[in-house]
Amino acid sequence: MAFLEIENLNSGYGDVNVLSDISLSIEKGEIIALVGSNGAGKSTLLKTISGLLTPTSGKIIFNGKDITGISPDKIIRDKIIHIPEGRKLFSDMSIEENLLMGAYSRKDKSIMKDLDNTYLLFPILEERRKQKAGSLSGGEQQMLALGKGLMGDPDLLLIDEMSLGLAPVIVDDLISIIKDLNASGKTIFIVEQDVRLALENSNFAYILDTGSITLKGKSEELIKNPDIKKAYLGM
Amino acid sequence: MTLQILINGILKGGLYGLMALGMSLIWGVMNIINIAHGAFIMIGAYITFLLFNFTGIDPFVSLIFSSSIMFLIGYTIQRGIINLVIRAEIFITLILAFGIEIFINNAALMIFSADVRKVKVSYGASNFNMFGVTIPYVRLIAFLLAIAITIILFFFMTRTKSGRAIRATSQDLDGAVLSGVRVSRIYAITFGIGTALAGAAGTLWAIIFPLSPTMGGSLTLKSFVVTIIGGLGTMLGPVIGGLTLGIVESFGTNWFGTTFESLISFSILVIILIFRPKGILGKGKE
Amino acid sequence: MKKNLLLISILILFSLSPFLTSNNFLIRFLTDILIFSILASSWNIIGGYTGYASFGNVVFFGIGAYSTSILMSNTGLGFFVSMILGGIIAALFALLMGLPILRLKGHYFAIATLGVAEAIKALVQNLNITEGNSGIYLPPPEMSVDGIYTFFFYVTLIVLALLLFLTSIIFKNKFGYNLKAIRENEDSANSMGINTTIYKSAAFSLSGFFSGLAGGIYAFQQGFIKPEPVFNVLITIKMIVMSVFGGLGSLFGPLIGAFTIETISEFLSSYFLVAHTLFLGIVIILMILFAPKGMLDIFINIRKKGLSYFRKNIEEHRV
Repeated sequence: MAFLEIENLNSGYGDVNVLSDISLSIEKGEIIALVGSNGAGKSTLLKTISGLLTPTSGKIIFNGKDITGISPDKIIRDKIIHIPEGRKLFSDMSIEENLLMGAYSRKDKSIMKDLDNTYLLFPILEERRKQKAGSLSGGEQQMLALGKGLMGDPDLLLIDEMSLGLAPVIVDDLISIIKDLNASGKTIFIVEQDVRLALENSNFAYILDTGSITLKGKSEELIKNPDIKKAYLGM
Repeated sequence: MTLQILINGILKGGLYGLMALGMSLIWGVMNIINIAHGAFIMIGAYITFLLFNFTGIDPFVSLIFSSSIMFLIGYTIQRGIINLVIRAEIFITLILAFGIEIFINNAALMIFSADVRKVKVSYGASNFNMFGVTIPYVRLIAFLLAIAITIILFFFMTRTKSGRAIRATSQDLDGAVLSGVRVSRIYAITFGIGTALAGAAGTLWAIIFPLSPTMGGSLTLKSFVVTIIGGLGTMLGPVIGGLTLGIVESFGTNWFGTTFESLISFSILVIILIFRPKGILGKGKE
Repeated sequence: MKKNLLLISILILFSLSPFLTSNNFLIRFLTDILIFSILASSWNIIGGYTGYASFGNVVFFGIGAYSTSILMSNTGLGFFVSMILGGIIAALFALLMGLPILRLKGHYFAIATLGVAEAIKALVQNLNITEGNSGIYLPPPEMSVDGIYTFFFYVTLIVLALLLFLTSIIFKNKFGYNLKAIRENEDSANSMGINTTIYKSAAFSLSGFFSGLAGGIYAFQQGFIKPEPVFNVLITIKMIVMSVFGGLGSLFGPLIGAFTIETISEFLSSYFLVAHTLFLGIVIILMILFAPKGMLDIFINIRKKGLSYFRKNIEEHRV
């Protein structure tokens, strides 16, 4: 069985169903991408995995454990960390406090060591550690969001719309950090509107269209697929 | 004479600040206006009165008991009742808090009767003179304790994990949930702290002023005034608001007479709301 | 339509009650229900239709009561003239108070209205013309004892009928749609070119006018008024609870709420002399927990969903 296994998942907001019969699997150590246009239900899927939304039917199995419908704090302790769209940082709190909030559900002794590692990864955050999160630029905020996610010591990292509104240079930096993290053993699930970016930097990808998965395959193959070229890559 | 009025106002203002601290915390974090706040202050005052009368425990010592009992009461009420409707429209939680207030006030009326009581400590009347100003010891100690409690809360909110979680929850609810914060628990703790602060204020109130089961209503309204003057979202707000109200009230009643006390505070409330709804220091949402 | 017909026939039967019973106590009780129906329906105009939860509507009731009393005892004007003038004064006060306060939203509006009501109470307690805390006596109505009960019943009924008639017309017209637009989203109502200030103020004044009339009736009926009971915040709470209980923003909802809550109150106070207000607190808590959308919503949905209706209501609003 795969690291994360989703079977026939249905989910949405209140009485409105957004996702219908989603099945996908994520193997350990990979970078998996979920791509699709605005409103396809990408964020809904992530919110359902992280427990913000309760599915109406279907199963989510992580590391051999059924985590369907359990509360977000338990899912975080199972080491799935969700970095949401819009980052959802605590803008009136300092950078360091935001990072410490990332480790909120941990009780182990190596939190301070991870804080140092995060600062090594993002030196700019250490420079400004006393500064309020709200005072950072968009790119710096995304770094903080990533750092805050890492402070939770994730096995699986869910990243929603990381590139949205950021300059290409900064996106490149973030992508190379994500690849390093992946190389160090973290499994990563990225959700992107920027289809090219996602396919160029992942091993495997799923295409989501109006709540259903319409296509899946190795990223290097999907990027050559004529339908995808036409629909998403503007060629 | 002017100096005496000013000092009186400052001493009372410190207590007003403590009274409003809990209300402002609950309002800022959960967006609930706790109409029952004054009723919680009243319970705190009666805990002190009962402990003093039946066990002889010094009222200043009973601060520990009143605040811990009130924490438990607040935690339970939030967990069991308010959390169930917290995302409903705002006037729903307001009405609910009114229901709780009506219940508490009338229960207290049945238990304690409408009689006005007083905590008569032996040192109640001692005072000292400085620069021609008379300062009663109890008022000075109550003032210093009120400030000390505010400082302790400040350190709790900024230096502890739970304090950080409370601030995080008030700033971004989803962000807090995705950090592993159990919001229902944090809300219950916050409400508990808010009512514990009300309990502490009640104790200090009982040492200085007479108490009755119906005292809560006007204290709730005074807490509003202080919260509104100081504005939401800062720790300093209630202190500034409390001192402002204390001083204005002290001079106002000196000029117009004590019967105008509540008219003065409500006029301040309305004027501040009209001209500066976020308060002097506030950054809360409008 | 069938539902309205049923309601109208109940109302007609209700309106004939002075001829159906000679029990003055009962007629007096029904008059109280009518007074609260006026108050709750008035609150519904600003709180339910417009979405501005006023926590100080008792101030209009109090101003109406005091204006009527002062006019009757000092100028010798008759009851009807005094009552209508009382309503007009309350409406003007609503207009004046609304100009700054209706710019506030949510909690701030609620607190500001509560503050104004308390400030006016404090003022009335300290003014000479209102006789402070000692209160004002009104000239008694010159009628037979039975006649008095019937008189107040019909005066109240006529005012309520007028209020319902006006609101039913208004809310089918542009005025009503604009108020609804303000409730749903005031910013977009503004950008659609609706002058929200005018409409909000008009709704608030209308609410104030009828609450003022109710105050006038109450004062003449009591024969003596004091600041504390007339400006009691509990009256505002009852208006809101009745409107919520009956269903917000509906024409007959507040009437159903007034009838239910007053009956429960009356029942409680006849059985529990001391504790009845305490039970009222419990009723409010239970209502908010189990019927936050009102009785009508329960009746409509409970047949379909059964007890899971209550669970779903709570699931929707808890954390």
